Amino acid sequence: MEFLELLSPSYFLLAAAGSIIGIIFGAIPGMTATMAVAVCLPLTYTLGLHEGLALLLGLYVGGISGGLVPAILLNIPGTPSSITTTFDGYPMAQRGEAERALKICIVASLFGGFFSAIILFFFAPILADFAIKFSYVEKFLMIFFAMSVIASLSKNILMGVFSGLIGVLLSLIGTYDVSNGGNGEYRLMATWMEPYLAYGFSLLPVLIGLFGISTIIEEAEKGVKENSLENKVNLTKGTPFRFNVFKGQTGNLLRSSSIGTFIGMLPGIGGSAASILSYTQQKNLSKNPEKMGKGAPEGLVASESANNALTGGALIPLLSLGIPGDSTTAVLIGAFTLQGLQVGPLFIGENIDTWYSMVTGLMFANVVMFIAMFYAIRYIAKVVLIPKFILYPIIVMMCAVGAYAINYGIMFDVWTLFLFGVAGWIFGKIGIEVAPLVIGFILGSSAEVYFVKSLESYGEYSILVTKSPIALVLWGLIILSIVLSVIIHRKSKQQATEEAAQ
Amino acid sequence: MSWFSSLNSVVIDFDQSHLFFPRIVITLIAILGTFILITHLRPVLRAMRSGQYQFFVQHADFMRLLATLALIPAYFWLMEFIGEWLPNMGLGFLLASIPFVFAMSMLYCHEKTRRNVTIITANAVIAPTFVWVVLYHFFLVSMP
Repeated sequence: MEFLELLSPSYFLLAAAGSIIGIIFGAIPGMTATMAVAVCLPLTYTLGLHEGLALLLGLYVGGISGGLVPAILLNIPGTPSSITTTFDGYPMAQRGEAERALKICIVASLFGGFFSAIILFFFAPILADFAIKFSYVEKFLMIFFAMSVIASLSKNILMGVFSGLIGVLLSLIGTYDVSNGGNGEYRLMATWMEPYLAYGFSLLPVLIGLFGISTIIEEAEKGVKENSLENKVNLTKGTPFRFNVFKGQTGNLLRSSSIGTFIGMLPGIGGSAASILSYTQQKNLSKNPEKMGKGAPEGLVASESANNALTGGALIPLLSLGIPGDSTTAVLIGAFTLQGLQVGPLFIGENIDTWYSMVTGLMFANVVMFIAMFYAIRYIAKVVLIPKFILYPIIVMMCAVGAYAINYGIMFDVWTLFLFGVAGWIFGKIGIEVAPLVIGFILGSSAEVYFVKSLESYGEYSILVTKSPIALVLWGLIILSIVLSVIIHRKSKQQATEEAAQ
Repeated sequence: MSWFSSLNSVVIDFDQSHLFFPRIVITLIAILGTFILITHLRPVLRAMRSGQYQFFVQHADFMRLLATLALIPAYFWLMEFIGEWLPNMGLGFLLASIPFVFAMSMLYCHEKTRRNVTIITANAVIAPTFVWVVLYHFFLVSMP
């Protein structure tokens, strides 16, 4: 229990602060957990490792949870993952049960968060222990598998793969790093770019640009309309919340949290997939499916427990394999690197104290989230009223600070922000998908090293298949994910044509 | 089986190894890109001609969009310029952020009532100053 000494009062204070700031970000429509982490990054630069982690995890948990507030009160999902919360939350709010709906969601969120943190605690070390035995071949295949899953779950498989490859290509710009056994030569750029791109694009400015600045540009295109407050509902009246609403919901809670955790583990899939899947599952299994969508508490429970279970789930591949599960964990991986943490199979074993302090931070952030939201929900609900014209300039400003300071004062990183902000805005319009692109960008350079080194040392292509039984299993999984995705896409196409015919 | 082993074997010249993986990726992108063009070009062109696909959202606010696309680089440029002129004090950030926050707020504000303009002005001064004091002086974050 040595790690307990590492947990100072400021550790808990920062986790709590992170959680509350995260809730505020999540509660503002259009602002996501990813942006909360991105905007608060500069704060972590000078914090110690554990304090920085506490703040980041708090932001992550709070950011995912906060989305339920506008989903219920304004019928606008604050984060993409709370889309299914609007289905039942807003009808309840209209009936005057806003506070009851909010509190049901908060309890469900806490359950989901705890559930996934426990799974993370027990499962991540096992996965890491298993992955320690991986050689370069298996590591390459692992990345290949992650990318095939991402691509197969995107809207259009071809475009998903294409976007992922573009991400890989972007990550290769710069030198072939000598410290990874490369030859130190520049590639993929003109001579005049060398002073700027010798080490390629920095990860965090790229991510902040893609997720932060591009959101602002999109909003500007739509005219930065303030959310209409006409349909805002009164919080204080209506049926009070009682815990007995959870009677008979144990199965729903467990199932939805499991779905959330599992979806979180799959790389590149956002929270919306988790909550939509568990919502439809609940609808299929419900005794009163006709009530769902008209203000049924069970819908709220399914949606919110799933999207909070995502937090722990997404951290599993991040901490045990170094593969981020969603866009927020993609930013987290960058923030960890800044703290000098190398996440991957060796991380947990070599940093056992940090690992315990992370799990503690995650649990604590969930508790703070619960207390803050449960008792202060009336005040937090007011943040949805902060006008965008005040908020957006501040966000651009914080993004600039974050990008500039990442490498201790590189102006090119700030320009990267703008470049990828515009690129992200255009990508959305021409069908290039940002999630596979980002994962490709993050994993691309390690994929190169693993791939080239495997071939250099064995001298034959077939080693990629025949290296070990694990390699064969990974190939099986890769093929399975591709086949499954083709079947799923076919089915959804069929459904679409059938619906169109009706 | 000699054809198999000759296809299977691979030798990577160390001097050229920095190009090995990028070449594969570019080849894959080229193949996939051509395939996407062949299969999707016609439907996309048709959708564009019939007006089903439009690059900009419906009723796009071009004034705010273009102004945003100009304002952000102007802000970054100004930050760099002032930072070189008055270095090592974080003043590039502070002195560029105040007008930027003000301009962007005014741009995005739909109802420029006296109350809103007062809030915008106060925010434009207070927010950057607060960030500058806290991050530059307490947290020692580097700023232009």
